[in-house]
Amino acid sequence: MNALNLILVQSHPLEGWFFGSGKALVVLAVALILLVGFGLWMWRAEARLKQLEAKLDSKNSAPS
Amino acid sequence: MAHNIWKIGGFILIACVLVLVFAVPMGPGLLELRGTGDTAMSNDLDRKMPEYLLTGFGTHWSENPQDLQVLVRSKANLARLEVIDVLDDTHARIGLTLPYSVPSKSWDVLTNHSVDGTLLLENGLFLSDRFIDESIILSDIDIEEFEADLPFHFPYQPRILESIRNLMLHVPMWFTMFVLMGIAFVASIKQLASARATAEDEKAESAVRVGLLFGILGLVTGSVWARFTWGAWWVDDPQLNGALVTVLVYSGYMVLRNSLESAALRARLSAVYNLFAFVILIILLMVLPRFTESLHPGKGGNPGFNSYDLDSALRAAFYPAVIGWILIGLWMHRINMRITRLNKKLK
Amino acid sequence: MNEMEDIMNSSSAPASSAWSRFAALTRHAFKMEFRQKNGLAGLILFSIAAVYTCYQVTGSRADAEAWNALAWVVLLFSAFNAVAKSWPEDAPEMRAYLVHVVRPQEWVLARITFFSLLLCGMSSIVFMAFILFLGTEHLNGMQAVYFFMGMLVTSVALASLLAMIQALAVRANGGFGLIAVLGLPLIIPVILIATRYGMDILHGISFADTAHNLLFLGTLSGGFGALGFILFPYLWSD
Repeated sequence: MNALNLILVQSHPLEGWFFGSGKALVVLAVALILLVGFGLWMWRAEARLKQLEAKLDSKNSAPS
Repeated sequence: MAHNIWKIGGFILIACVLVLVFAVPMGPGLLELRGTGDTAMSNDLDRKMPEYLLTGFGTHWSENPQDLQVLVRSKANLARLEVIDVLDDTHARIGLTLPYSVPSKSWDVLTNHSVDGTLLLENGLFLSDRFIDESIILSDIDIEEFEADLPFHFPYQPRILESIRNLMLHVPMWFTMFVLMGIAFVASIKQLASARATAEDEKAESAVRVGLLFGILGLVTGSVWARFTWGAWWVDDPQLNGALVTVLVYSGYMVLRNSLESAALRARLSAVYNLFAFVILIILLMVLPRFTESLHPGKGGNPGFNSYDLDSALRAAFYPAVIGWILIGLWMHRINMRITRLNKKLK
Repeated sequence: MNEMEDIMNSSSAPASSAWSRFAALTRHAFKMEFRQKNGLAGLILFSIAAVYTCYQVTGSRADAEAWNALAWVVLLFSAFNAVAKSWPEDAPEMRAYLVHVVRPQEWVLARITFFSLLLCGMSSIVFMAFILFLGTEHLNGMQAVYFFMGMLVTSVALASLLAMIQALAVRANGGFGLIAVLGLPLIIPVILIATRYGMDILHGISFADTAHNLLFLGTLSGGFGALGFILFPYLWSD
């Protein structure tokens, strides 16, 4: 890993620092966690919306 | 569950794309061929020749150093350079074995290697101190050509390098924005056709809202990419101007909405403005860039990037990214629309 | 309410055909504009003062790029200034009356025609002021004619879009601010093409090689006009 790192740093500074050193995998993990969190948040928002819509519908239909 | 499959599918696609984006390695390429100022002695003949240092990117020259072949090409002329020795995977000392009279000043540099296959560096060699005689023909060489033997990788592009990965995050933003603005456009037409109901207006509003978000994300990712490849956060380019103006136009749409009180009038006026906005979007992002010089790929000025839509590895990541982001955008649009309608009902 | 009678009486024939109603509306718009002499004088003064400010900043030494940029910016702001006010016909009660007498399409075409002629007049004034103050060292012979032609075509394109934006802003009870917010981003394609055309002319590129820009501007104004023609009825109705 170290030798590869050295070569990458020689050919381009960013490559060795980011992709050569495995930092890219950390970023990948963070991005995946954010993505999954966002997905779950949206799922929950939709479930709550459904609940509220149902509540509102029953409220509207009850008096009439 | 069955009707929710596209929502989960969008997220799964983007998760896969993210894994590809950060884990797939970069293919090899050539960075530069530069004179060292030294002269070296040829191996077979006792001939003096100028020494050059060839720098590769992600190449594997030390695996089979004897297989490395370096050629220069200018139109139909092809000549072989001598590899003095391979320093490491990405550096090799090259002897310039060209005669004093050459047919051209600028040459493309090619390498062939048993792992990397054939690599090209356009206009990599520039000879300023040679005699130019265009009638000379250099072509008598025989080479043993190797096919590339590499794992799944993204193609190397000069100057773009590793930032090619941004393709999967930047371009789909605009695709998604287009889709959402298209939805808003259709909804606005339907709104004008319907008399009193404002359901289509709410649809258009939330589509524009989510579309604006994707537009801003597209500007941000594009700005970061421009900093890396073109050296500035913002460059004067028709595509960029178009993108910024599109965001401004749709911000104007939101301002117009907020300045109107009556729901029916707001629905009608903002629908009228939205039709204008979409026409301008088409003109700015699809018509005008074709008439002008642009830094963006496929439109002149950056010919090195034209092959990206042909590469199978990029395709495998790019198409899922486009579909995934569009699905996520559509889901966001639906949730936003339902919240808007619920708020309206509660009032 | 004698303005309404003006509209109907100003045409000699009874206002029955679409063409005569359109002509009457256009004539009426001009009559109203020239009746408010101070408004028109204010517009002209604004343009000349803007050009004079440019002259004070650059002197007569402006190079081609600056000359071009200043000319279009002054034209753009003069145009916005010219359309960004509310005419007596924009009042709600006036609209309630007009809805019964004329078709909205006739009204919007009359508006676009009026704005086009008004902006052509404004661009003539701006152009003459530019020649007077900033000099003609970049414009030799026919170049001036071509540049002025570009200004006229741009005026028509601006008018066809701004007529619609002005109607929208009036309907939304917004003032100059709303016209600027809605109109400026939408007008940028027109300005991009116009400045490119002007730059080509000032750099001495032959007219035939840059005439496609004018054609493009003409297409744009036709497109805006058609869009306004289709959409204006929705703006007008209650």
